[in-house]
Amino acid sequence: MIFSRWRQILAPLLLSVLLLVTACGGGKEPSRFEGAQQQKTPAVVQESAKGGSFNKYFPKTSGDYSLTYTQEKKGAAIAKLKKGGKDVAELSITDTVNTPDARDKFKQSTQRIAGYPAATQGTTMTSILVADRFQVKVRSLDTSFSPIDREAWLQKFNLSGIASLK
Amino acid sequence: MSKPIFELVDQLPTDNMTVKSLRALDFVLPGEWQNTVGFVNTIRTVTGEEDEDLIQQIGDRAVILFNDKSQGYQRALWLYQTIDSAGSALGTAALANKVSQNISFLSFLGNITPKPEKAQTIDFSLKVITELLAFCQINGIPGDSIGDFVGSLAQYSGESLVRMAALVCFDGLVPLGANFLQNALQYIGGMTPSELEQNPAFKQIGDQIPGGSTAGKLGFIGESVSSVSGWMSNFVAGHNLTPQNVASNLSRFVDIADDKLDYLGAFLDMTTNYYEHTGVQTLARRLIERAVAEI
Repeated sequence: MIFSRWRQILAPLLLSVLLLVTACGGGKEPSRFEGAQQQKTPAVVQESAKGGSFNKYFPKTSGDYSLTYTQEKKGAAIAKLKKGGKDVAELSITDTVNTPDARDKFKQSTQRIAGYPAATQGTTMTSILVADRFQVKVRSLDTSFSPIDREAWLQKFNLSGIASLK
Repeated sequence: MSKPIFELVDQLPTDNMTVKSLRALDFVLPGEWQNTVGFVNTIRTVTGEEDEDLIQQIGDRAVILFNDKSQGYQRALWLYQTIDSAGSALGTAALANKVSQNISFLSFLGNITPKPEKAQTIDFSLKVITELLAFCQINGIPGDSIGDFVGSLAQYSGESLVRMAALVCFDGLVPLGANFLQNALQYIGGMTPSELEQNPAFKQIGDQIPGGSTAGKLGFIGESVSSVSGWMSNFVAGHNLTPQNVASNLSRFVDIADDKLDYLGAFLDMTTNYYEHTGVQTLARRLIERAVAEI
């Protein structure tokens, strides 16, 4: 009689213990990047411009400044701007046909640079959207490179050339 | 499909044999390598941004870029991982993770067999090629552009530069001696395609190497090593590097006998994975640089 009473409570008791143990650290918390990890969409689309087509529209440099191309991938061209041999900024042209969400910040901004919609991100980036498609961005790598410097260098790109890529 | 990039960077060790041996190179490149680990930490370090929304956007885009095989990042990771695992002859988990005490090198002597010089030379050369190929996959320069790669070496810094320093010191100077470059070029010049085909590392990564036939690939390898030899010779001379001073700096955490440098080379081969470790760091940095440009 006592034995059958124990049998009645054993299964629920064991189940409760199991749930308790699992809840107290049996499972790993998913990463904050798990959502992106589960996305199956390609990073670049067929119609994206090639990074190589952007290279000639980067600013020309002189004097203490020099430009070194660092990445050239489909939809992105990136270069480092050096002053006196020291990295001061990262310049890039990217095709937002691969990252449509990147255009949202321009809709929310009233700023304009060289006549194009402009936006800042964080404390280090200023960008403009050319022909509603190509994002031209300057990112400070050194505290000596100010937001004013970023705006000045954005205007040194061949922006009409970039627009002609559309 | 590889592990998620955020996991790879999160799981980078903060201290093990690889980390100790790279820190031992601080005498060559003071402060150049910081062993940045953790995906979010790397985003903060690379971008200087602290805003959590921005970090999320950057991380998400980096994950999507890495996961798209057509973008080449997984191929680069595979190259870095494969060249390191091809070099290790014995199971090394316990030894590689030894973090606390000085390692009594002599007690492992019985388990170490130095590779013949020719095999060591091939491995050194294949590590050069691996760097070139991974560089092209990550940065997008055409796959056989030796000239562009050599030009880029002048821009190498941080984890990429320390990887090259380790290649010169651990895979060049220590096992092959002060004349490692001349010897490498000589051996490659006299090598037959079938000798190359016997090499375990070549068996793994060989089909990634431009050149068509094995003879063609051998030619490409020779050309690549020849092209970087200028940079490497200048690096050795500029930092006054010798097999002895490299060994002496390693002796801070490994007891080394002076006359056992070829064993030291094999020992490092077995117990470190500096290509994979710093390769993951380089990959993460480049992904984040691209992601931050695109968001």
